[in-house]
Order: sequence, then C-alpha cells, then structure tokens
Amino acid sequence: MAVPDGFVEVAGLSGFALANGPWYERERDDVMVRGFRAEARHANTLGIVHGGMLAAFLDSAMGMAVWRGLGRRSVSLRLTFDYLLPVRVGDWIEATAEVVASDGTLAQARGRLRGPRHEVLTAAGNFALLKPDRPPRAGQAR
Amino acid sequence: MDNAHSPTVPAVEDDAAPPGFRLIDFRRDRVEVTFNTHIGNLWAKRGEKGTADEFVMGLRVRDKHCNPAGTLHGGMMMTMADLIGGMGAGTLAGIRKFLPTVSMTFDFVAPARAGDWVEGRCEVVRATRSLLFSHIYLTVGAEKILRASAICKIPSGDGPSFGKAKLVDRPE
Repeated sequence: MAVPDGFVEVAGLSGFALANGPWYERERDDVMVRGFRAEARHANTLGIVHGGMLAAFLDSAMGMAVWRGLGRRSVSLRLTFDYLLPVRVGDWIEATAEVVASDGTLAQARGRLRGPRHEVLTAAGNFALLKPDRPPRAGQAR
Repeated sequence: MDNAHSPTVPAVEDDAAPPGFRLIDFRRDRVEVTFNTHIGNLWAKRGEKGTADEFVMGLRVRDKHCNPAGTLHGGMMMTMADLIGGMGAGTLAGIRKFLPTVSMTFDFVAPARAGDWVEGRCEVVRATRSLLFSHIYLTVGAEKILRASAICKIPSGDGPSFGKAKLVDRPE
C-alpha cells in the first residue's frame, strides 16, 4: 500500500513491532513523524483499528521522541491514552511526540495520533531513562 | 524474506496453556486475519461468578510478542489489557456487545519474558448506563506486571454487531 512522500521504513524492527509493521518515519524541519498504513491485520472485524495497536504505535513514537530529545534509551512507566475517534483499514496514520519535562531519571512526553480525517488518540507518558552508558541497540527500534 | 507481515492464518502453536484455559477463536469462519488473531494465541478461562477467576485471559509469551530487549512488548501488554477491559469487564457486567475504549492508563510495573505464561484479570469498578469503568491486572505467577485502568463506552441499543468470539477446547 502507498506510503506518503518522504517516509522511509523503520529498519531493525523485531518481535512485536516487526510482526505488526512495517512502520515508517519522516524527518522534516527537525520534526520526526512515524506512520503506518492500517491493514485488516491491525483491525477488528468491524474494520476499526485495534486500540492496542494504536497504543503500541504511539508508545513507540513517544519512546523515539525521548531518544531524539535526550539521547537516552527509556522504558515506559505509565501511559495514558484518550481514544477520540476510530480509524479504519486503509487509513494512513501518523504519530508525533515531544518531551515536555525531564530530569536525570525520568522523562515526560506527550503524543498524538492523527488519521486522514481527524485526530485519533492523545497520550501522556512517563518514561524511566536508562543509564546513558548503555549502548543503543541497532536502529533504536522499539 | 521474512514472513512476518504475511496475512496468512498463523499456525496455532502448542502454548501449553494451563488446565481450564480454552483458545479464544476470534476468527470464527472468516477468511481475513484480524489483529486479535494475528497477535495470538489468546486463551481464556471462565471461573465461578463473583470470584477473581470469573474471567481470566492467558498468553504464552513468544518472540513475536517481545521487544528488542527480549521482554514482552508494552504494546502487547496494552493490547491484552484493552481486550480484557472490553471482553472481560463486559462479561462480568453482563454486557454482550462491542465496547469501544474511551480511555486507558497503563502502569508497566515489571517485565515478562519469552516463555512466561501471562494471565489477565479485571474488576468492574462501576457500570453506568453508558460507561464501564474497570481495573485490569496482568500477572506472571504471583507477580503483577501491568496495572491498567479502563473506561469503555457502552453503546446504546445493540451497538454494532461484532461476531462474538467463542472459546474452543483445542485448535483444529
């Protein structure tokens, strides 16, 4: 299925992310956007994309924002999601995220997911920062 | 070429589910593979009404459920909790329809690893005419790995027909 201009496939995915990919990224004006095309295997029988899939995808974008903003790997501690409107099979879905606060051990981030017609999901997250000397994994894929 | 994105029906693996758990057949007889089937297997056990085991969902953690660190991916935990917030809490509240998720909060308190057997249980906090509030815990043995709080919408009328999942004793 078609991928919008400028998006490249995220390399190095494994496990859950690989099984539910491909996922794409585009960096423009220092803003990173993650996207994926919803397929039947992301949805329920009504053709509505599963809330778990959307949460997983936005979590990955938020973790990436922590990595880009702070240069630190992290693990999710607490995530809160508000589901606004459904998205359907065939929709191109984009995630953006930003770090809003951090100290040496914790980062707080916000994330938004948009579909072609409307905003889909908003999130607030708390992330535990891993030790800076831990080497990044290939591609930082989550 | 890997086959990870292929929409073929995944082979049902022997998850060595503990006694009492039955496979949740989300597919019924449909051809297309939906998310719940794609990420499976998911298992369920029904216990005595009013007990903590009235509805239990089970998952044997596979590599395909994991993150690069080799532990159960947060997305998979959230997916399981989301399902329990709808199916499980709906079952406990006696609501037999599709319950769209309005809001969820997840606390990731411990990791799980490939091979672990994960169980999920829920508690109905309150059901109003239009909303269902629930708590969900995922556990490995006695250890909690995820705490979730969910609000689902209860659609008026019958809501959209969802083709209810059924429990099967053994995969065909």
